[in-house]
Amino acid sequence: MDFTLSGESKMMVKAARDFAEREIEPIIPRIEEEDALPDDILQKFAKARMLGMMIPKEYGGIGSTALNVILVLEELAKTGSAAAFLVAFCNSVAETVYQWGSEDIRKRFVPPLCDGSSYPAMAFTEPGTGSDPTAITTTATPDEDYYILNGTKRFISHGHGKGYGVFYANDETGRITAFVADKSSEGYTCSKPWALMGLAGQGLVDVFLKDVKVPKENILGEKGKGFHILLRWIAGERIQQMAFMVGMGQECLNESLKFAKERMVRGRPVTAMQGFQWMLAEMHASIEACRWWTYRVASKQDEGDDIQVDSAALKLFVVPTIQEVARKALQIHGSYGYCKDYKIERLYRTIAHAGITASSTELQKTIVGSALARSKES
Amino acid sequence: MDIVVCIKQVPETNEIGWDPKTGTLIREGAGGILNRNDKNALEAALQLREQHGGLITALSMGPAQADEALREALSMGIDKAILLCDSVFAGADTLSTAYALSLAINKIMRFDLILCGKETSDGMTAQVAPQIAEFLHLPQLTGATEIAIENKLVRIKQRLEYGFRIVEAFFPAVITVERGINQPRIPPMDSIMEAYRDKEVQVWGAGDLGGDSARYGLKGSPTQSRNIYTKQVRKGKVTILEGEPDEIARNLIQLLKQKDLL
Ligand SMILES: Cc1cc2nc3c(=O)[nH]c(=O)nc-3n(C[C@H](O)[C@H](O)[C@H](O)COP(=O)(O)OP(=O)(O)OC[C@H]3O[C@@H](n4cnc5c(N)ncnc54)[C@H](O)[C@@H]3O)c2cc1C
Ligand SMILES: Cc1cc2nc3c(=O)[nH]c(=O)nc-3n(C[C@H](O)[C@H](O)[C@H](O)COP(=O)(O)OP(=O)(O)OC[C@H]3O[C@@H](n4cnc5c(N)ncnc54)[C@H](O)[C@@H]3O)c2cc1C
Repeated sequence: MDFTLSGESKMMVKAARDFAEREIEPIIPRIEEEDALPDDILQKFAKARMLGMMIPKEYGGIGSTALNVILVLEELAKTGSAAAFLVAFCNSVAETVYQWGSEDIRKRFVPPLCDGSSYPAMAFTEPGTGSDPTAITTTATPDEDYYILNGTKRFISHGHGKGYGVFYANDETGRITAFVADKSSEGYTCSKPWALMGLAGQGLVDVFLKDVKVPKENILGEKGKGFHILLRWIAGERIQQMAFMVGMGQECLNESLKFAKERMVRGRPVTAMQGFQWMLAEMHASIEACRWWTYRVASKQDEGDDIQVDSAALKLFVVPTIQEVARKALQIHGSYGYCKDYKIERLYRTIAHAGITASSTELQKTIVGSALARSKES
Repeated sequence: MDIVVCIKQVPETNEIGWDPKTGTLIREGAGGILNRNDKNALEAALQLREQHGGLITALSMGPAQADEALREALSMGIDKAILLCDSVFAGADTLSTAYALSLAINKIMRFDLILCGKETSDGMTAQVAPQIAEFLHLPQLTGATEIAIENKLVRIKQRLEYGFRIVEAFFPAVITVERGINQPRIPPMDSIMEAYRDKEVQVWGAGDLGGDSARYGLKGSPTQSRNIYTKQVRKGKVTILEGEPDEIARNLIQLLKQKDLL
């Protein structure tokens, strides 16, 4: 068992850190104020070759590993910004389109997700549900060479950004089918973004599909197997999301240390008090456990293993653990941590989302629990 | 136009020990980074290549772990990398470092310019590049904040204490660059993969350079450290002056005069 990162991986981490410091941190006040990402940031990510990292070169990617992707994301996550999430999203959506797409779909839709010309989208959630595939109401009706999509998708990240996305709808057989659709299609409109607790610039919109024509060859994977594709996407996305949690958790600790070493209480820095040291120790131990398990599941993905249950168990552990790290960080900061001038305030808000999106923590329990109940080993 | 860029790996922190017997740095165990100023030299070389074409070789003398610094240079887009690594080179002062580097540059043969950082963050002598120029009998243009090429002529804007001057020389020449000359690029992810998977760092030992073995390493270093000590930082009392700006300024001048500082 080798726990050392390769020179290549370490260099990628360093490059990602430099990138975050140079390109993301300085624009965060503007993103927070305008609740929008600047137009050029996607191009910058593309130029840094952070999009479509696992996609083979001939489809516009760089043919790297799941482990390298999450290492890069962990660094970018330290900004606690939606800008960093965009990178994860581009990667996971491109991977899904690549994995399930026909040769024609791969050629048409994967390169734009890697070269920064397309914002990704993965549209499942609806006003009625975000967790239950049987409650989906968007329909796809065949009409000659097309499917006609009708319905409303809710909370769709970058649903309003130019480019392509994957849309889930009930086909004529009543089963969920995944379609790759152009977000500039006729009949495709969006609400203004929801004002979120955190993740300014995430661009979470409702998408209204009114007789949107999608060519039949744009069906992703097998007809009627859309929910399966969604679950696979979520499994990979979960690892990336957990890498984000690890990065943000680490930054919570870094910020807490910086603050606590300088904050004087009764003439001594608060780090001199055992109670604070214990909090810091617990934070550190928690983050390390989350980090190495995340690396482990990513390595399993690279080895070609099924990560459905592993990534669910990972999320089940990491989300509450890092949320507790964030809580401690806020506590250490005292009232300063509750002020927008301190980074911990933003990290805390960003971290709050993780138990809800891309299938909730409760659903992870169902996935892991039912897998255990089914398992033959005892 | 072909360029050789000399780069050095330096310790990541300032918390580094000394060997009291030899007066040399104990580098083992300290994480290394590419000297930041040398990244400016690499960036300057890359920009020159973008304008004028050619091949860039990065050259470093150091222990085996300096391979990382060279891989970083390759990630940035440098074409070739050479590491001078041999136990014989250990303990080198600036003179013997420059001696080995200049022999290596001669062996590389193809070069119109040699780019260096102005100084390192650990040794900080700013001697190596000028010494290379002396060994190779080349003109040296130091402290460049701009580099321009015209035919076989290189012209730099040189920062002086009280201004600038323009200096020029014919190829080949040695140039050292200031930190402010550019913002080094961050290597893209695919280029990092290439640097580790497809590119090679050649390792040369003393045998490859030929040269006079008595001039390498500690043996070849005339510099002798008599005494090495850590600077004592005395804690002073901070006085914060308050009031209107002109009043503060007057008080400050008064105070400085009292302390014989003005
Ligand atoms: C920042 C952000 C970005 C998002 N981006 C996207 C996107 O790009 N695309 C997209 O499609 N959606 C997106 N969403 C929506 C998100 O994925 C859904 O909101 C999420 O899946 C939860 O769905 P819901 O809100 O409908 O909650 P519900 O499904 O109604 O769940 C409500 C509660 O019930 C629990 N629950 C539900 N079902 C079960 C069950 N079977 N067993 C036990 N408990 C259960 C849940 O855990 C939760 O606590 C985003 C949301 C946010 C906040
Ligand atoms: C007595 C003595 C003993 C020493 N012993 C040791 C020892 O045991 N081990 C040790 O590592 N150092 C040792 N040093 C330090 C050694 O002299 C310097 O590391 C080296 O000569 C470079 O000097 P500098 O760092 O001041 O570089 P500067 O002259 O400030 O560097 C200017 C530029 O020259 C180039 N350059 C400098 N060094 C190199 C290099 N090695 N390879 C490629 N390009 C380079 C870079 O472009 C750099 O920006 C010793 C120094 C002294 C005085």
